[in-house]
Amino acid sequence: MSSQSASERPVLEVEGLVKHFPIHGGLLQRRVGAVKAVDGVSFTIARGETLGLVGESGCGKSTIGKTVLKLVEPTAGRIVLAGEDISSLKPGAMWAHRRRIQTIFQDPYSSMNPRLPSGTIVGEPLENFGLSSGRDTADRVARLFERVGLRPDAMRKYAHEFSGGQRQRLGIAKALSVNPDVIVADEPVSALDVSVQAQVLNLLIDLQEEFRLAYLFISHDLAVMRHISHRIAVMYLGRIVELTDKRSLFMRPLHPYTEALLSAATAPDPKRRRQRKHIVQGDVPSPANPPPGCHFHTRCPYAIADCKVIAPPLIEVAEGHHVACLRRPVGGDPGPLSVSS
Amino acid sequence: MSANILEVRDLQTQFNTLDGVVRAVDGVSFDLARGETLGIVGESGCGKSVTALSILRLIPPETGRIAAGSIKFEGEELTTLGEEEMKRLRGHRISMIFQEPMTSLNPVLTVGTQIAENVVRHMGVPWRAARERACEMLDLVRIADARRRLDEYPHQLSGGMRQRVMIAMALSCDPQVLIADEPTTALDVTIQAQILQLMLELKEKTGTAIVLITHDLGVVAETTERVVVMYAGRKVEEAPVEALFTEPLHPYTRGLMRAIPRLDIEADAAGTRPRLQEIPGLVPRLTQPIPGCAFAPRCGFATGRCAVESPPLLDVGAGHTVACWEVDRVRASAL
Repeated sequence: MSSQSASERPVLEVEGLVKHFPIHGGLLQRRVGAVKAVDGVSFTIARGETLGLVGESGCGKSTIGKTVLKLVEPTAGRIVLAGEDISSLKPGAMWAHRRRIQTIFQDPYSSMNPRLPSGTIVGEPLENFGLSSGRDTADRVARLFERVGLRPDAMRKYAHEFSGGQRQRLGIAKALSVNPDVIVADEPVSALDVSVQAQVLNLLIDLQEEFRLAYLFISHDLAVMRHISHRIAVMYLGRIVELTDKRSLFMRPLHPYTEALLSAATAPDPKRRRQRKHIVQGDVPSPANPPPGCHFHTRCPYAIADCKVIAPPLIEVAEGHHVACLRRPVGGDPGPLSVSS
Repeated sequence: MSANILEVRDLQTQFNTLDGVVRAVDGVSFDLARGETLGIVGESGCGKSVTALSILRLIPPETGRIAAGSIKFEGEELTTLGEEEMKRLRGHRISMIFQEPMTSLNPVLTVGTQIAENVVRHMGVPWRAARERACEMLDLVRIADARRRLDEYPHQLSGGMRQRVMIAMALSCDPQVLIADEPTTALDVTIQAQILQLMLELKEKTGTAIVLITHDLGVVAETTERVVVMYAGRKVEEAPVEALFTEPLHPYTRGLMRAIPRLDIEADAAGTRPRLQEIPGLVPRLTQPIPGCAFAPRCGFATGRCAVESPPLLDVGAGHTVACWEVDRVRASAL
């Protein structure tokens, strides 16, 4: 990362994050189990950096986003935002820190009051946090509109009068209004058509460079991820299985699940169609009852007997390249794995 | 017997809305050869799904209608066919699968009953035989333990499995044409890869022609033989899949290809993020007639003529057609 000085502390540090959702059942609705949505996840994000969280439905990526935002209370673990531990702050105490961490949703429409003009929606956080009022708010909102590529006279329009891409710009303007350090973006371009998706991705990158924003970027789309991220964490059933800079992830994926994801991704190139190495079979197991050991062993072509009992820790096997796989020891051969030794 | 199983000519499908008449499909023509896989690609609102619904005559009559054009299936005109005859065709000789299988499966019937129902209806076989056929079909779409699954309800299946059931049901009466509308869009990538592979294998086995409707250029590139690109209710380009991706000729097709982030291009140095090329502006409203090229307001090649005169489809050879006045300039410019 060029914009990161070596001594600077990461703006967001997450350590051993756990979030279990209880399952209730039986006549008395007693607690009968738990969905281990997030099961011991650690990562950091520097100012000006994008960390991508990628994985399939139910892997816990959105829960991490919500927990970091403290919209959901963590079961265990530490969340340190700009040097302050916010993991156990009660909602009242959390208020003061909310300004620093903002979010952009997949569907901004559902997060906007349909009865308020868009200018009021974007200006609300400014007034809530006492950062401005009256005329001053209006001026700042107008500047925000311009910055995200909307005409300031659109401030009088309502959310339904905008297109999907414009609404996402509104959502970005709102998140940006209080000058945050971190933005959690959960599938922000998934609902957009590709031509509009490009506009929004470019805008997010420009804003990051201008304001040194840290992004926690959550997506299932590997191509989008590769475009916007500096580092990427691949998740499977509540755990990070691989974490590294995007170049190594795409050039030299080490975890069999990452390899499966990359191999399954379609590419807009008809010549590539017969080049797929293998397609991983089976479904993602239920997060309420994940397989023991390495969660991926049920679908992994390289699994050995130990994979069924030992949950592999996430270890740094090469500089900056973390992987949780028994068959990828520290300093091991980064070449292709052989099927079950 | 014609080589084409389906011939769509100048199809116009319109809807009445509070804002006026929406020309969702505005003069689209294409052919589908026997056993072929044809992709129809475009962004939201381009008319690709309405084209599919028009073929099956599933446009709700309260709001919409096929205003003009012809749809010929095995030489038979579908636009004027009676509803009873249409019912005999749907799910039998032309089948369809949708994006979200949960909304097209009946939640209170077992999957075995739902597949068998279709078989009884169209093949006129007894229930017992139809259930056997359902079991065979689940086996064919590689659902493990097919006989037990027959008695399960849709909610007991995963998303990928439900889509397999939809495919089993769609293929249960050996259709000549399968229309798949965004069949993998709601699925995770590893499951998408499984379903696409399955569809192609089944096509080889059964010889069913497929119309694959999608917004995803990656899916199109990997599964189809020929592609129709739609924009604002019109066909702007059609080409064999290799030609479309190596030499796209419509400025819109080119714009789409440059706008998508790519996984397959040599990884860039860590930290650098090249800008994606945006297509400026928005899709036009379809409530007003568009006199010229619908893409002209967003097009870097547009001239005065493009705004007023609609470009005809120009045949550039080898099955490649494009609707653009400035195709020579487009071709000469770098991709």
